[in-house]
Amino acid sequence: MKTNYLLPNKFKKLGWVLFGLGLLGGVYIYATGLTDEFLKVKVLSIYDNQIFGKRSFFKIVENGIFDELVSIFIIVGGFLVGFTKEKIEDEFIYKLRKDSLVWALIVNYSILLVAILFVYDMTFLHILFFNMFTTLVFFVIRFSVLKYKYLSHEE
Amino acid sequence: MKNRLKVQRAIHELTQADLAEKIGVTRQSINAIEKGKYVPSTVLALKIARLFNEPVENIFTLEDND
Repeated sequence: MKTNYLLPNKFKKLGWVLFGLGLLGGVYIYATGLTDEFLKVKVLSIYDNQIFGKRSFFKIVENGIFDELVSIFIIVGGFLVGFTKEKIEDEFIYKLRKDSLVWALIVNYSILLVAILFVYDMTFLHILFFNMFTTLVFFVIRFSVLKYKYLSHEE
Repeated sequence: MKNRLKVQRAIHELTQADLAEKIGVTRQSINAIEKGKYVPSTVLALKIARLFNEPVENIFTLEDND
């Protein structure tokens, strides 16, 4: 099966490691309410519009980068897991990958719709944070489950 | 679409894994086809038929609701 957007299989392990570390980091941030003081370094801010401040463009600012690292790990890791070739790549795996992607998109936005209707204030903001990653997380889980489900159990 | 893949496999004494390896697909594909959960592409159907040395219609047949 020819696909032009899949990376070689060797990146899949790296993907799982990044994805796992990212998710653990995310849980850690959420559980401890980690402030932005951790891993503070100077970074380039392209655009900043503070609530009681002025707007600024292309300014060097100080920022704790732990949450940025966690986000990057989850996103890059999730993409590597979902979009690297399987050991054997065929038309059925291709179909499972596409079906999982559609499933994840539908489930994710269904949950978001419910949240928009029934969740407000800061809690809704938390849901938006999760929502940055849930499509990818649902996709990876669904794809893994389907691959396992169709492994043959011969009688 | 009905298929006689399992029967053909039994005749040739192949496991799902053996067949998958000979055709160059995953075990998941063979399993899903046998369970009727997946309709293979024409290319894959022809490859399977060639392996069993049968016309493709002997393995895959249309049903009334197709």
